Amino acid sequence: MEALNIVIRGIFIDNMIFAYFLGMCSFLAVSKKVSTAFGLGLAVIFVLTITVPVNWIINENILKEGSLAWMGSAYETIDLTFMQFIIFIAVIAAIVQLVEMIIEKVSPALYGSLGIFLPLIAVNCAILGSALFMVQRDYTLVEATAYGFGSGSGFFFAIIALAAIREKLKYSNVPDGLRGLGLTMLITGLMGIAFKSFIGIVL
Amino acid sequence: MKFLREILDKQKPLFEKGGKFEKFYYLFEAQDTFMFSPNTTANNKGVQIRDAVDLKRMMITVVIAMLPCLFFGIWNVGKQHALSTGQELDLMAQILIGLKVVLPIVIVAYVAGGLVEVVFVVIRRHPLNEGYLVSGMLIPLVMPPTIPLWQVALASIFAVVIAKEAFGGTGMNVLNVALTARAFLYFAYPTNISGDVWTYFGDSTPADGFSGATALSLGAATTTGESSGELVAQLNQSGFSFMDMMLGYIPGSIGETSTIMCLIGALILVGTGVGSWKIIVSVFGGAYFMGIIFNLIGANDFMLLPAHYHWVIGGLAFGAVFMATDPVTAAQTEKGKWIYGFLIGVLTVLIRIFNPAYPEGIMLAILFMNVFAPLIDYYVVGANKKRRLKRATV
Repeated sequence: MEALNIVIRGIFIDNMIFAYFLGMCSFLAVSKKVSTAFGLGLAVIFVLTITVPVNWIINENILKEGSLAWMGSAYETIDLTFMQFIIFIAVIAAIVQLVEMIIEKVSPALYGSLGIFLPLIAVNCAILGSALFMVQRDYTLVEATAYGFGSGSGFFFAIIALAAIREKLKYSNVPDGLRGLGLTMLITGLMGIAFKSFIGIVL
Repeated sequence: MKFLREILDKQKPLFEKGGKFEKFYYLFEAQDTFMFSPNTTANNKGVQIRDAVDLKRMMITVVIAMLPCLFFGIWNVGKQHALSTGQELDLMAQILIGLKVVLPIVIVAYVAGGLVEVVFVVIRRHPLNEGYLVSGMLIPLVMPPTIPLWQVALASIFAVVIAKEAFGGTGMNVLNVALTARAFLYFAYPTNISGDVWTYFGDSTPADGFSGATALSLGAATTTGESSGELVAQLNQSGFSFMDMMLGYIPGSIGETSTIMCLIGALILVGTGVGSWKIIVSVFGGAYFMGIIFNLIGANDFMLLPAHYHWVIGGLAFGAVFMATDPVTAAQTEKGKWIYGFLIGVLTVLIRIFNPAYPEGIMLAILFMNVFAPLIDYYVVGANKKRRLKRATV
């Protein structure tokens, strides 16, 4: 039950985009077409669902203070939390490489349309953010997996909704200065207002 | 009418390219078309049937459909004023008080938003549309009667600039303009648009025993454990019987209290084909469906509220009839309209019951579904394509 709550929270209440404004770069850049956004959203879900639990295991068994106790009593006092950033990033980068290879093999069309943004998932702040939030909130392994999946799905819904809006806006007579990114920023803000409906819900 | 036409024709060269007032061409065009559009007139000889419905006619129809809500709202503001301050006022006095409160709000909303629109028309040189006649009327109807006028002006300007003109003007916006205005105030100045603001007091002080609670705040109180007991009984005790809420003798935003008046508006909209009955029906259906589900769960007293109460409480009827049916921001495919409306109803009841921070869910539910409407359309169209491709035998 707790895991389900975390998934729902990740999608609607603690949405990575609209509640924390993390992962904006790919959110703004890869949302011109629904099909591409759909692919990137799926890739983010996939990467998050894998990296968050993997990072959890590493954090619990190696990085946390006293977690090296399994190696012997001499290691009981070692605290490697200062390594969190670098280790988490390394794990994420490795897994993104894996995803890239899989997508290239399975769907070359999607691989082509995602372009540079697929490797850029590695530095997507939403991914590292999730890993750090997971540590901060003291999740268990199951909860961490649910959290990864939930926040990935939140990103997925946000980006396909934005892409659908932008496809529709192709036919609009937008003021010159706002064409492209300017208007997208405005839409993101307005979507944020709409998503505010869920902030404050206690599950 | 002929001499009017002649006067306008005489002025026309002044406003056309190279004329003296070239800049103001679209202002001229606006008043020209306001009176003479569509300018196809039936032939004198023989019988023709011509359907001349266009954007302007549609917008005027919506404004007419809103009038019952406006008139009732004006009277209700006065009535609630009399009730809460314990004065004995006759009908005329109540209406006068209502006029004194409501008219300035309507005028400010029209003037502030309208001026911004005119500036955009002149600078960007696009035609002036009647769209703002509707938004400018909707904004006052969803405001509490005690709202400061400068906030009405600010919200109207914000909504017109950010939610509409930035997207290219009428017909291009993603979010409903009037709801954006309200949401803007809701998050920017929460103390002026939530809590104890639903009754106009003026110079008088509230009578003894006046609580200032609304039906929704009573409901929300049961979810947070502040009060308990059967909600229907509580509502009846505080003057929110089903009939009262249906007719609208309750405090609330200016135009939304009366479900009956909203339904009259719905009849006008659906009868003239301006509003989509599918959306209206599915919003009510979605709310009822969710109400029944919560009845079955029944974890607190608000969940046990009979499902049809959700129809008359708060602004659900007003939102369903006038906001959700906005043809620009709603889903545009027929199947999409069912999904869109149903989800609005479901979300509204969800937010009401789960989110004590926002007692009323319809505003945010509609905004939320506005955001997802293009996506619904995208997938409905996609599914249709797939279905037809399957049928093709090439």
